[in-house]
Amino acid sequence: MPDTREATRHRKVALGLSIIPGLGQIYNRQWFKGLALLILTFAFFTCFYNLFNIGLWGIVTLGTVPFRDDSLFLMVKGIIALLVIAIGLGIYAFNLYDAYKNGKRRDLGLGVHSLREQFRHVVDQGFPYLILSPGFLLLIFSVIFPIIFVVLLSFTNYNFRHSPPAHLVDWVGFANFIDIFKLDIWRRTFIDVFSWTIVWTFTATTCQVVIGIFLAVLVNQKDLKFKKAIRTVLILPWAIPAFVSILVFAGMFNDSFGTINVDILKHLGIDAVPWLTNPFWTKVALIFIQSWLGFPFIFAMTTGVLQAIPEELYEAATVDGATMWQKFRQITLPMILYATAPILITQYTFNFNNFNVIFLFNGGGPAIPEQTAGSTDILISWIYKLTISQAQYAKAAAVTMLLSIVVISVALWQFRRTKSFQEEDMI
Amino acid sequence: MKRLAMLMTAILLLVGILSACGPSDKSTSSGSSNASSKNNDGKISEPKPDKLVVWEDKDKDNALKPAIKSFEEKYGIKIEYKTLPMADKMRERLRLDGPAGKGPDVFTVPHDQIGQLVVQGLMRPLDVPSSVTDTFTDSSIQAQTYKGKLYGLPKAVETPIFIYNKKLMDKAPATFDELYQFSKAFTKGGKYGFLFLGDNYYFAHAYMSGFGGYVFKNNNGTLDIKDLGLNNDGAVQGAEWIAKWYKEGLFPKGIVGTNGGSTLDGLFTEGKVASKMDGPWSFEGMKKAGIDYGVAPLPKLPNGEYPKTFIGVKGWHVSAYSKSPQWATKLVEWLTNAENSKIRFEKSGEIPPVKALLKDPIIADNEGAKAVFVQAERGEPMPNIPEMSQVWEPMANALQLIVTGKQGAKPALDNAVKTIETNITQLNAK
Repeated sequence: MPDTREATRHRKVALGLSIIPGLGQIYNRQWFKGLALLILTFAFFTCFYNLFNIGLWGIVTLGTVPFRDDSLFLMVKGIIALLVIAIGLGIYAFNLYDAYKNGKRRDLGLGVHSLREQFRHVVDQGFPYLILSPGFLLLIFSVIFPIIFVVLLSFTNYNFRHSPPAHLVDWVGFANFIDIFKLDIWRRTFIDVFSWTIVWTFTATTCQVVIGIFLAVLVNQKDLKFKKAIRTVLILPWAIPAFVSILVFAGMFNDSFGTINVDILKHLGIDAVPWLTNPFWTKVALIFIQSWLGFPFIFAMTTGVLQAIPEELYEAATVDGATMWQKFRQITLPMILYATAPILITQYTFNFNNFNVIFLFNGGGPAIPEQTAGSTDILISWIYKLTISQAQYAKAAAVTMLLSIVVISVALWQFRRTKSFQEEDMI
Repeated sequence: MKRLAMLMTAILLLVGILSACGPSDKSTSSGSSNASSKNNDGKISEPKPDKLVVWEDKDKDNALKPAIKSFEEKYGIKIEYKTLPMADKMRERLRLDGPAGKGPDVFTVPHDQIGQLVVQGLMRPLDVPSSVTDTFTDSSIQAQTYKGKLYGLPKAVETPIFIYNKKLMDKAPATFDELYQFSKAFTKGGKYGFLFLGDNYYFAHAYMSGFGGYVFKNNNGTLDIKDLGLNNDGAVQGAEWIAKWYKEGLFPKGIVGTNGGSTLDGLFTEGKVASKMDGPWSFEGMKKAGIDYGVAPLPKLPNGEYPKTFIGVKGWHVSAYSKSPQWATKLVEWLTNAENSKIRFEKSGEIPPVKALLKDPIIADNEGAKAVFVQAERGEPMPNIPEMSQVWEPMANALQLIVTGKQGAKPALDNAVKTIETNITQLNAK
């Protein structure tokens, strides 16, 4: 009995002493490491004391005196304080684990590593961690931090009437989310925008996919001449920056002076169509533009897949007496869909958030009286309007959260399915 | 490992305690609170600062430098300045640099931004004696007032006026009826008698207001955001009057929308237009194109009233974060006094709304300056309340529908007012 208790003494004592980082290591006779950790801890608290002091108080209260306390700066400080504490806790956990592990080695009679051995150990096995850490730190502060900021913002009431420094911002819990569904004006706008976003996503993406696949199959015909030239021309819409194309289209679709109404339709004898001032026609124009911009990518991808389909399948089908359409439906289409399904799904999520084409074409479409969103605004462009023109920052953050829930669920679902795509094999 | 978990919990609790007994008093350099400093007839109670920082509009530092130099000599306070685009960067940088302690003491913005800057708490009210405010025109002081308090002193005023090509028109007409007749006879073959941007509310307001419309009802200096006069009879009449110019072909088609401004400029500098309604900012371009132009206040409307153009007033303001507000106020008074305003006009062409200067030959003999001055007295300042920002776009949409004949004036304006009211309610939503 005394043996087992003795046998675990070192590790327990080391762990216990490690409440103050460094002491455990010193107990384990790893002087350098222990001293380094002690100094690190001391420096950590001295450096960041101020940050923790104000940051933690600030993020809980968001300030109590206007002008002296800038609520947003306090929230930022608070988030940074929490992130630094998290990093600190990580190092602390490492410290505890290290002391325990080395205590265990002493218990088992293995003896601890010398300084040189430790150094070599770190460089060898800790190399990936060493290389990753600067990038990881950068990631935390430039990606994680803004995300946390937006998430927290959606639980405050930051808008025009509550803008620092003259006013304080307060925590309001789920009020923003509840308001979006409870208050008439918000609910109506949200439902309208959300439904149009869904319709837009499915219609525009399906259009561009169908056109892309159709053209790819067409151009892939064996006897077609000038394949390379045709493929180059069809890739052009993708090559020109979408930004520029959309602005040019906006000019071309202009009701009174655009070439589409003035030149093309007039020559065909059709009356001028109110492209930009009628919600329905704006939507038609948008779907057309997005198909134009989006099909080259699908086209290129599908062409690649088509060239990987073995010829024997088609020959066998011809022998069995299959028609063109049957060949397409039973051989070509399943192969294409299977190979490109994950990417097609990303096309849907891309269009769900396609700010450029909606905003640049007509700024969210002809305005609807009594609504703050335009008739062709999708969620993301509505969020932009809420932020820039109406200073409703907290509500915009809340809508962003709702949008993210949709996008993240789709991404997760797609991730799961991708695995199953990879495991199955068509042939 | 269980012990590890217990330790972690203990630490989290410790952190929790820390947050509770956080600092009740802290650091963040206290932006001076709103306690206004008494000026006591020019006696300044605060100590002289080492320096004062001024943020001036881009490209206008030539006009600023002589004034700064004379202030430095008189009071011995060093002045640093920086130039920033006034329309947007000024207030964005102020919002961030001010609380951080790197902001200016004195800065300049167009007067219609005053409302939102005050709501955000970035500007402090000025305490100047009436002997100083009386030196400026009434409308320019009104532009600097928000909710009854004065927030700045005016440094330049601008308003659209009547500009004519002396080769194509002898002298400015006195009434719009005359101008209308002239235009009917003159407009043919790519030449136009009179042009202006009718679908831009900044210009259209002059006519809609001249016939009796208004944006927000003015109750003795305070604007009522619930009372919009954009679709009342006067406004509808004004909008129809504007549409008439388009309907009768006196305006070209391409002068609508975002490219309207450049189209108008292009036509005028090519010598194809006899007269236009535009602002002093276009003087440079016309000079460069060699057009011999004349300037006059706008003619009378058919109902006997003058068009009430929107005047834009640029002013000097004191930042709420200034550590020496009294000295900053003194600097503002200095920069806008008659002498420095005159120098500013000489160097940058910006017209100061200083009453005494109207009689000064430098302005009285300058056709352009005199026209702007007179027209500014007949005009009204753009509302400086934050709700004004919600007016521009719906009005532009409505005007575009009216002038292109797609919708009648009353229904289009009614829709615009509905949209504006909705937007204002959302803007002010608690």
